[in-house]
Amino acid sequence: MTDFDAIVVGSGMSGGWAAKELTEQGLKVLVLERGPEIRPERDYVDQLPPWQQKNLDRISQEEIEQHYYRQYPGVAYAVKESNKHFWVKDDEHPYETAPDTRYDWLRGYHTGGRSIMWSRQSYRMGPQDFTANKEDGIAIDWPVRYDEIAPWYDYVEQFAGIAGNRDGLSQLPDGQFQPGFELTCAEREFKARVEQAFPGRNVIQARVAHLTAATQEQRDLGRSNCQLRNRCHFGCVYRAYFSSLHATLPAAERTGNLTMMHNAIVQSLEYDETSNRVTGVRVIDAVSNEHSTIRARLVFLNASAIASAMILLQSRSEAFPNGLANRSDQVGRNLMDHVSGASASGLIHGFENRSVYGRRPGGIYIPRYANITERDKPYKRGFGYQGGATPLGNAGGNMAGIGRAFKEAHSAPGPWRVNIGAFGEQLPNPDNRVTLHPTKTDKWGNPQALFDVSYGENEHVMLEEARKDAVAMLEAAGCTDIVSNPVNLTAPGNRIHEMGSCRMGSDPDSSVLNNYCQTHDVPNLFITDGSFMTSAACQNPSLTYMAFTARAARHALNLLHDNQL
Amino acid sequence: MTTRREVLQGLIVSVGGASLLSACGGTANITPSTRNELRFYSPEEFAFIDRISDLIIPSTETPGASDVNVAGYVDALMSEWANTSTQRRFRMELAEMRRLLGEDFLGLTVDEASQRLAEFDAAAFDRRPPRYGGYRSLKQLITQAYFASEAGALQEQGWVAVPGRWDPCVEV
Repeated sequence: MTDFDAIVVGSGMSGGWAAKELTEQGLKVLVLERGPEIRPERDYVDQLPPWQQKNLDRISQEEIEQHYYRQYPGVAYAVKESNKHFWVKDDEHPYETAPDTRYDWLRGYHTGGRSIMWSRQSYRMGPQDFTANKEDGIAIDWPVRYDEIAPWYDYVEQFAGIAGNRDGLSQLPDGQFQPGFELTCAEREFKARVEQAFPGRNVIQARVAHLTAATQEQRDLGRSNCQLRNRCHFGCVYRAYFSSLHATLPAAERTGNLTMMHNAIVQSLEYDETSNRVTGVRVIDAVSNEHSTIRARLVFLNASAIASAMILLQSRSEAFPNGLANRSDQVGRNLMDHVSGASASGLIHGFENRSVYGRRPGGIYIPRYANITERDKPYKRGFGYQGGATPLGNAGGNMAGIGRAFKEAHSAPGPWRVNIGAFGEQLPNPDNRVTLHPTKTDKWGNPQALFDVSYGENEHVMLEEARKDAVAMLEAAGCTDIVSNPVNLTAPGNRIHEMGSCRMGSDPDSSVLNNYCQTHDVPNLFITDGSFMTSAACQNPSLTYMAFTARAARHALNLLHDNQL
Repeated sequence: MTTRREVLQGLIVSVGGASLLSACGGTANITPSTRNELRFYSPEEFAFIDRISDLIIPSTETPGASDVNVAGYVDALMSEWANTSTQRRFRMELAEMRRLLGEDFLGLTVDEASQRLAEFDAAAFDRRPPRYGGYRSLKQLITQAYFASEAGALQEQGWVAVPGRWDPCVEV
């Protein structure tokens, strides 16, 4: 006898999708969220005007030293006094790193997980990304090709709402877009000059998960169009950007089939050797410390690439002494992120009597060209750039002058600056892994994560080239005052794109998941967070998690109907 | 293309909205110190910060730094945001700044003080790397505190709470 048809572990970007798809097809679904509940009307702070923010919205320095010593340095642009409750306190959620390595594990535990705080860039992977490992002879081949996932991208884009332009680029396929945020006049100029100087490169609008022409389906969920406030890291009372809290969880809720449980930390999965099935989930109440086991016919792990792997590693049995569904020994390995640290900025001229109105949520994107339209690179794969060209605006006091001129300069648009920064692909490497710390535990008695992740030669060479390319493009665009600091690779984890810890593949001996994100070893166990990624590509990955989750849920439902689970 | 007139009309509507919002939002989360109830600086230090803040951002058609008690905001920042090493550094650098600007600085006329500070400010920014880091840090806090005030954000900067639309190219 089971308590639910399905349990979804995690309510974030992918867990919300699993909950939506499974409940809409009639399953009774329990979503376990390890953190407390977020209620927008109570917990969002996006409507605070500057004069109601405390201390210039800076977290006090003592509090950073005490509670946010990893979160704040990792993501200072988004962790503020008013929204610090969206981020974990490091002293309450410790982890370890191998000697001479650093790992930035940046996260929030609450309803919607990091879909509350993400930066909303939404790109499809292209056909080349699914064949890259095979062609390069690196790691293992993806068991899925672009054409198989394309209809699922269509499906999730229509529901989520992605603003973008149809650019007709084969490596960055177009999707079901709502109207995009048009390029600024300086960006149009930058685009024209770059594309003329480098025929294989394109400058396009960022594609972002914001509503600009909300559909009836989206309005029915209480969502409305983006109001151009750029307060997204503080929540959004308009529910204009996609998050589990704005979209998928409300959709699941209205079916009447959803049960949400907060403060529910999953310790491990219960496994029955006779049937070779997961039978339940062992849960610790984060507040009362009570332990319980909840049973279901189907389990989706959506706890993040790190936490899902750790849950498997903690689920040991005679049949799986190295962790559940880990006969391949690949659980926790091949942990990837994207790598940044190469950028350039410069002034672009001719727009001194122009400004912009509104604060848009994304700027420009330069899709990957390396090893696609341009060959003979001294590295494999490639990178995309994110950036923008906007008036410099308020310098925050860091400029010469006093008196009226200084005061008024802060309200003038000022010169326009272009900036672009690379997001590069990290190659999969089985030695880059998360394991359970042999002795250290957290306050609930669960093993702490132990990270051992380093970048390889390819990432270092690639980012050096990305910096040179960035400068060359700014020069071609006629920029002056170009600033490009020496390459300083972001720490692994810093881009908050955790991927690859339970990779998919055709061979159960070398992969954890099959082509539907179903574990090879245990048929009723699916993992559809970033764990499944066989390679990282260089695009921001959330949209891909959504598409694979929706597809996996449909597959699981089909198997359930056929009594194969 | 939107004209400046239309932008300003947009501002007026949105500013009204923002004021309404603040009226409903209750009291500010930061309470700037008052001259009589300082939490960090001495009365002499406070008077100095008040003076230079108002020279940097004077009253024009819109209120200046003194009008919105920027010095009180900076005092609150030192007491609530800064840790002890930051506090120590700011205090030390402030003493140095007062020494460099002269014992008589507070007694000067506005024009005299303005001229002396302008020279000091120019010296702080005219080199690579710039010098007088303590002054530049304080100047940034003063400026940010000013533009975080209701008058600085709304009246001087034309900050709009809810722009509602994106215009990528506006004539100004």
